[in-house]
This record gives sequence, structure tokens and C-alpha cells, in this order.
Amino acid sequence: MRQVARCWPRVLLGALMTLSPLTLGGPAMGQGGPAARGMHGATPFEQQLAMLDAFGLDKRPLQQAPRGVDAVVWAASIPADNALTPERVALGRRLFFEPRLSADGTVACATCHDVTKGFTDHRPVSEGIKDQLGRRNAPTALNAAMLTSQFLDGRSPTLENQARLPIINPIEMGMPDEASAVKALAGDAEYQRLFQRAYGRAVNFDDIARAIAAFERTLMLLESPFDRYLAGEKNAISAEAEKGWVLYNGKARCQTCHPFNLSNPLGSDGRFHNVGVSARHQKFEELATKALELLEKDASIHALDRLALETDMSELGRFMVTRNPTDIGGFRTLQIRNIGVTPPYMHDGSMQTLWDVMDHYNKGGEPNPYLDGGMEPLALSEEEINQVVAFLFTLTDARYAEENQRQMERQQEIARKKRPFRDEAMAFGRRLAFEPVKKEPRP
Amino acid sequence: MKRKDIETKYHEERQALFDGLRRLDRRGFMKVAGAATGAVLGRSLVHPMSFVPISVASAATGGKVERFRFAYISDSHLYEKKLNERFVRSLLRAVDDVNKMDPQPDFVLYGGDLAQLGQPGELKLGAEILKSLKAPVRMMVGEHDWYLDMGEKWRELFGEPSYSFDHKGVHFVVLNSVIEEDFWTARKMTPLERMQTVAGLDNALQNRFMVGAPQREWLKKDLSRHAPSTPVIVFSHSPLYKYYRPWNFWTDDAEEVQALLRRFDKAVVIHGHTHQLLTHRIGNIHFHGMLSTAWPWPYAPEGLPELTVQMNRADPFNPQDGCGDGSVELHPDGLVDKVYGLWNRNPVTITRGYMTSRGRTDRPDAPSLSSY
Amino acid sequence: MYAKRVAIGALLWLGCQTGSGAGQTPRARSERAPTEETVEVKLCDDRTTTTVPKDMPPTRENGQRVADSLMSQWKREHPNQAWEMKVTQSHPTIPPPADNRKVLEGAQRTDQTYALFTERDVLTWERETLKLVQEGARVFHDAEAMEGTIGVSCDMCHPDAANTHPETYPKFQTQLGRVVLLRDMINWCLEHPVKAPRMEPDDPRMRALEAYIIAQRKGVTLEYGKH
Repeated sequence: MRQVARCWPRVLLGALMTLSPLTLGGPAMGQGGPAARGMHGATPFEQQLAMLDAFGLDKRPLQQAPRGVDAVVWAASIPADNALTPERVALGRRLFFEPRLSADGTVACATCHDVTKGFTDHRPVSEGIKDQLGRRNAPTALNAAMLTSQFLDGRSPTLENQARLPIINPIEMGMPDEASAVKALAGDAEYQRLFQRAYGRAVNFDDIARAIAAFERTLMLLESPFDRYLAGEKNAISAEAEKGWVLYNGKARCQTCHPFNLSNPLGSDGRFHNVGVSARHQKFEELATKALELLEKDASIHALDRLALETDMSELGRFMVTRNPTDIGGFRTLQIRNIGVTPPYMHDGSMQTLWDVMDHYNKGGEPNPYLDGGMEPLALSEEEINQVVAFLFTLTDARYAEENQRQMERQQEIARKKRPFRDEAMAFGRRLAFEPVKKEPRP
Repeated sequence: MKRKDIETKYHEERQALFDGLRRLDRRGFMKVAGAATGAVLGRSLVHPMSFVPISVASAATGGKVERFRFAYISDSHLYEKKLNERFVRSLLRAVDDVNKMDPQPDFVLYGGDLAQLGQPGELKLGAEILKSLKAPVRMMVGEHDWYLDMGEKWRELFGEPSYSFDHKGVHFVVLNSVIEEDFWTARKMTPLERMQTVAGLDNALQNRFMVGAPQREWLKKDLSRHAPSTPVIVFSHSPLYKYYRPWNFWTDDAEEVQALLRRFDKAVVIHGHTHQLLTHRIGNIHFHGMLSTAWPWPYAPEGLPELTVQMNRADPFNPQDGCGDGSVELHPDGLVDKVYGLWNRNPVTITRGYMTSRGRTDRPDAPSLSSY
Repeated sequence: MYAKRVAIGALLWLGCQTGSGAGQTPRARSERAPTEETVEVKLCDDRTTTTVPKDMPPTRENGQRVADSLMSQWKREHPNQAWEMKVTQSHPTIPPPADNRKVLEGAQRTDQTYALFTERDVLTWERETLKLVQEGARVFHDAEAMEGTIGVSCDMCHPDAANTHPETYPKFQTQLGRVVLLRDMINWCLEHPVKAPRMEPDDPRMRALEAYIIAQRKGVTLEYGKH
């Protein structure tokens, strides 16, 4: 998987390298050129901004809970020192697209959280400065405001805290320290004015993070065909998807870890589960022993951040944060909103299609000593898998309807050719997880 | 199966390390062990059952009792694997856990209720799985193993259910504490009906568990050969005290058995059946329950011993929550630290300090769900 | 399996019928219609009847024959007749239903038959309630009755319905990701831990399970929404 990841972005990048980083990066710097690809494979920012403008998010009154969110729960998820104001959101939006926050001016938040790609980068793992690849798939920034923790291992408790780390991570935006990031903006008169208006202070790192978080709180996209269906519009989703919703709540065992309700509309329980994705290629015990030694010396959030992005220990997931062995290989349940437009899937981006994801769960995950006990073979038929996938594609916000349709067709095409994670013998209990693989004739 | 290979390889590497360690003197041992493990063991978050090597090698024996540990697996309640693969997977997980322990435990206690309905197929499946344990296994019988054929198949596979042995200065006794007075003949029950009745925890048609007069007589004789200073550890399937009668969390002649243990300075009872964290002390006798690999029982509505560190109720979505396995570490003073290796929660260690202080010191945190 | 379900259904149906009191006309169940030369004899259940010749000599043998005829009919219609006894003995911890004897105390109006409760009424309520609960106990302990596929029944995690907390519903149940009623949780447990098909909300077994679970928590304060 990783080798593939290393190859294809480079092809795109080759063509782009001739352009100066600065001409591609900033929102004010126009002229994206015919390549329609920005630095590190991101869509040029002006194109992203145009799409964002069309979403009309700025028309929503900031003091109201977003549509589809319980007002009390929404209010409780906004920190007291960062109440939403138009000035803060505007500043945050500018910072989100600000490549000067990276060491070489090539990476902004929007590089990996690309508006046109559902605020992800559509790559297995993300690319930072000097074309360095991390170890994890970029989760969408959409609706992240409602998550109970940030990063796939939950090492960060809030959006404000999360926004700080990529800026100074050596393989993401690569700033040597927080002061350097402040310095990069402090000389800009426009920023001086914007920070004063938003927070009444000079440019400082805490407020950089606060403003980005404030902007992210406006990225609540929860208006999907499924929401219309729940509101009573029975034809908003297909009969196939409707059956998928029943399976989602029952036989397919999705709902427990991916719950939907007004107070938590994301479809994530906010907990950490080893579903066996990392088990495919890792020796947990060796890694964990090594990790404990390293963390003994330095267990700061910055150390965690680097280990998670740069080393094989990334696969230990939540364990790195808690050092509790039952958390080995555990990652926070991803939200299921807009899932159609945020491939590839899983914490390492190792699955290209939602059919792959369903195949993985259908066989009860990859057996490993730390597998979540809730993972059991599901015995879903091919028809039932199609139904659940059809349902999952109804969870995309209407503003991504076109991209959703394109993704569905693209994934369908891939799934028709290969289903690398399908294992019907295990899914239907003909072979148990601990028994050796026997050749089975394909039906 | 690739996973197994990695584990085996890893185990071999660790074994080599420990073979090396054994050649060192105590001072050298501590140094090397310290280097190998870092100071990580001081942190309660490290799972005492885990892959991290722990320094239990007998560095200083002093008296006759050496420091050592044994593991336990209990209450797997296997059906035939075609009927229920969930319970089979759980037992395999426990076997994996124990095989990963480093260094290996001196032996593994199997705490009874290997089978669900005493069927020969269930017992054979269990025996087959337990064969993959690297350490020697000591078997104990539970009522689910017994009441279909009154122990015939179990004895054929594992031998007599009550026996004793000595290990590193400690006297161990294994009892069959699930003997019930005949309730089936008068009711004209078939063997399967008898088995099903006993298998229902809340089924009041059955009688209460007991060790019984003949076995108590044997126990008395067995113990008489040992001085009061010898640490004694008794394995029984039911708790050797009276907790809750309707569920047979109970042994009817518990007081008589306790009386036989009273003259010893240190006596520990390790029991199965209750599928929960359970701690009790009566005088010199310390009682510890074992976890089940199959499912957790709720606490009984009354009679819960005060020393128990309670577990919140389990999450039914995860059939392994509240389940697990564990280990027991013997100290040269003849007392034990008892580890509950919960699969989905923080591990809990009930130390001997907690027991001797009657819970005033060393109180462990209650097991919370991990991953929150 | 199918036959078993029908049997339970029938049993409960009978329970309903007898429980509904005086307003119902008992359906005559005779092996042949009474004629002028016969008399109708009823079993103590007030339902099962047989006819005997009017002039039959009142001997012990004849009496036994009539009784046997009635009992064999009753047994044919109650194939599970032993269950109640068995459940009673197996699960003596089921608390008795509320005591309604208070309605018999003091002056009752005799001018309106509707308001006049008799000892028999109170007994009927109690017995019928208990029967539904006991049927619930039976299903609760029987994987086969629930059509479970892996040999798991409710009592394996909930002896005496412990840890079921019916008094806390409606509540948010994390496994279902929403606010649910007791029957929703029962159905969830059927589908997942028990691996059985879900039951319709009015399935007699579902009603019986609910009855048993609620009965076992008698006396516990209602705390809806408590997790």
C-alpha cells in the first residue's frame, strides 16, 4: 500500500515542481495554471476557496447550532475562551489556507484537508514538506468540531490543541518551533489587524490555533439525503439504501460504534477500537516494548506526534497515548458522515473502496491478540454488502453530491475488479479465525 | 497463523534473554532486568500479564519458599465449535495470553467449567486447545464438566479431580467442590436434564455445592503432613465460603473446610465459578476469584464480600468485556498478588498488602473500560 | 421449532381468555354435542367439558372415567402442562405479583355488579399475572425457545434477570446508539449476544420476557433514563 502511495503523487508533482511554491500556495496569489493541481497534489487554493464560498457556510448565524445538531450539546463543545465570532472565523479561514505556516511555504492545512476532496487528500497517507510521507490517512476536517478527541489516536483533546501540532511536526508543515510560526505572520500588517480584531492581541501561537479551530467549527456539513429521509422524506434514499440502514442497525453491527443521533450526528462513538487493520503488517509486541522504552524518556505530546507520524509505532495507535495494552492497535472510530467522498479508508488509508471496508468487517476483522472483542463475523451476503454501501453513500452532504456520485461509480468499478479483503469462509463461519486457510472454490 | 510464527520467534528471543539472565548473580540480574525493561514496570498501566518481561526469577530464596508465578484460565464453557465459535475464540485468546507471558509461568491452573454441558466433544475440544499451552497445566473440575456423566469423560481426559502437589515450598491442593446431593433420581431426570439443571446458575431445582465428608477426610489427612508454617494454596471451583446461595456462589460445608485450613499461617483459596472480580478474607484465609473467558456474571444481590474491588457491568456488544485470564504471583512470605487480566479494561492487581491490611492500603483502581 | 411456538402462543392465548373475566362467554369444548339424554360435566378450569349419560350410575369407576376423559382432553390442549410446576420449582425467586386483596376490604357496593370484586377476581389477576411471568422465565432460560443459534440464553449473563434494570427504560442505550425501550434492548440482545432472530413487539414470547424481567425487579424505584 505504502509503495503505491509513494509512486503516484510524484507523477503529479513532477509537472508542478516547475512552478514556484509561493505562486501556488496563497489564496491571494492566483494563477493556478492549467495543471489544476497545487503543491503536494492539493487542488489550487483559489479553486478550493471558490467551492467553499459556494457552500454558503458564512450565511449561517454563528450563534445557532448547525442544522442537525442538538443546541445544548453544540454549545457545550465550544470552549469558553473561543466563542465563535465572524472575525475569528475569517481569520481562521485565512490561516487554514496559509502556506507561510510551513517551513518551506508549500503546505497549509488545506493541502491535506482539501475542500474539493471532502477536506481530505484522497491519498493513503499524507505528504508534508520535502515530499515526506506520514503514516496515517488524513481524516476529514468536516464536522471535526463534534469529535470528542482529535487525531486518530486521540492524542489531542480539542481542535485548538490539534491545530498546533502539524505546524511544528517535521514531516508535515515543519516549522522548527511555535515562535517561528508566529514570526512568519507577525510582520504582515493585514494579520496584525486581523488578530487585533479577532482576539484583541498581537499575533501569537495560541490564537493561531484558536482561529483555525473557530473556522473549523463552521465546517459542519450534515445535510445529506439520509437526513432528509430521517425527516420523513421517504424517497430521499433508494430502497436498497433503506435496507442498508436496517442492516446498519442490526446484523451488520455498525450502529454501536458508529451511532447516529441529534446529540452526536457524526456516527462515531469517540472510542478507540482495534479492528485489526494494523494487525496485517505489524509485530505488536516488539513495537510496544520499544515504544515503552522511548516514552519512558519523553512522553510529551510532541514526542507522541512524531512517533505517530514517522515510525512503525504509529500502528500501535491509542496505546501510545495510554500505554494500556488493551489499546494496542486501537484507533478512534472514524465519523461516517461524508464517507463517500473521503476515500481511501481506515487509519492507514489501506482500503480503496467501501466494499473493501465491508469485506473487512464481514469477516470479523484481522485476527490479532488485541482485536476488539466486539468484532465478530457478520455473515453478510453480497446483496447485503451492496445495501450497506448504498446506505453509506447517502450520508454525503448535498454540497458534495456530484463528487459523491463520481466516487460511487469509481469505487464500484474498482470493486468489480478486485476485492482484496473478501473472505467468505470466515464471514460465514465456515472457517474460524484460528484455523488455517484452506483453498475454497469461489462461487 | 503468521501471527503464531511471530509470537514463537519472539518467545524464543525472550527465552534466550532469560537463559542469559539465569547465569547472572542477583546483583547482575537486577541490573540486566532493569536495562531490559526500563522502569516501565513501576507504572500501573503496564499489564502484568503482558509481553513485558518481569523479574520474577527467584533471585533470593532466603527461606524455603521461592518467588514464582502461575497463570490461570477458567470457566470457558465450550460448546462444540460448530455451534458456538465465540467461546472457542475466547479460550484461544487466553491461551495466547498465557503463552506470551515472559518468563513463562511455572504452571497454568485451569479453573473448571471447560465444557458447557459436559459433552465429550466439548471436553475433548477444550483438552485439545489447552495442549497448546507451553507451560504445564493443572486441571480443576467444574459442575459443567461433571453432571452429564458424573465426571467419567473428564476423569478419562484429565485424571482424578482432587489431588495435591508441592511446588517451590508451597503446598497446593486441588478440590472437587461441586458435589451436590442427588436431586435427579427422585425426579427421574435423564443425564442431560440433570446436566442442564446444574448448568442453570439460577436454577433452584439443584442442590448446593459441597466438598463432602469423604473428600474433607482426605484433605485433613493430606494437610496433616504439613507444618503450620507451610504456605497452603487451595484451588476449588466454587468459592470456599458462603456468598450467595441461590446461585451456588456457595459451598455448603465451607466452614468445615475452612476449619482444616485454620492452623496454617498462610492459606490462599483460588476459585472459579463466579466469573467476576471477587476478594474475601476470613481470618488467615485469603480468597480470590478467577475471571471467565466466556462471559462475566453480575454481582449477586446480597452477600458480596467487602474487600471486593467491583467491576462495572459489562458491555454486551463486546462479548469479551468483563472476561479475561490472569496470574498469581507467590512471594517468599507465602502470600500472593492476584492479577485479573481483563481483556477490555485496565488490569487489576489485588496485592498481598491490600489483603493483609484488609483493604486499608494498596487499593487498586476499579477496572474501567479502556479506550475511552 | 414451529410447533413449539404455536404451543406457546396457544397457551398464552388461553391465559388471556381466562384472565379476561366474566365478560367473556366460555367456548364450549365438548367431544360431542350434548343431547337430551346427557348432561355436561365441566373441569375445574371452567372450560373443558365432557358429556355423560344422564342415567349413568354414580360409581367410583364411572367417576374416574369422567375425570380421565376431562383430564386427557385438558392434557391434549395443554401439551406443556408440566411447565408451570417446573418453572415454579426452578425459579422460586420470582417475586409474587402485587397483592390486590385490598380491594376486598371495607364496604363494596353491591348495587353495581361491575364494582363488586370477589376473592375469585383477585385470585384470577394474581394467577394470570404469575403465569405470564413464569412463561417469561421459561423463555428467558431456553435458547431454543428464542431460536438462538449458538446455545446462549438470557440467564447466562442475567441470572434471575440480574443487571437487566427494566426500571431505567426509556434510556439511551449505547449499543443501539439511541433512546430505547426495554423490548428494543431485548431484541438487540437476541440479535447479537444470543444470535437469534428479532421478535415482533407483540410476539407472545417478547411479552413474556418483558413480564419476567419487570417482575424480577419488583420493589426497585423507577429511575427512567438512568444509565
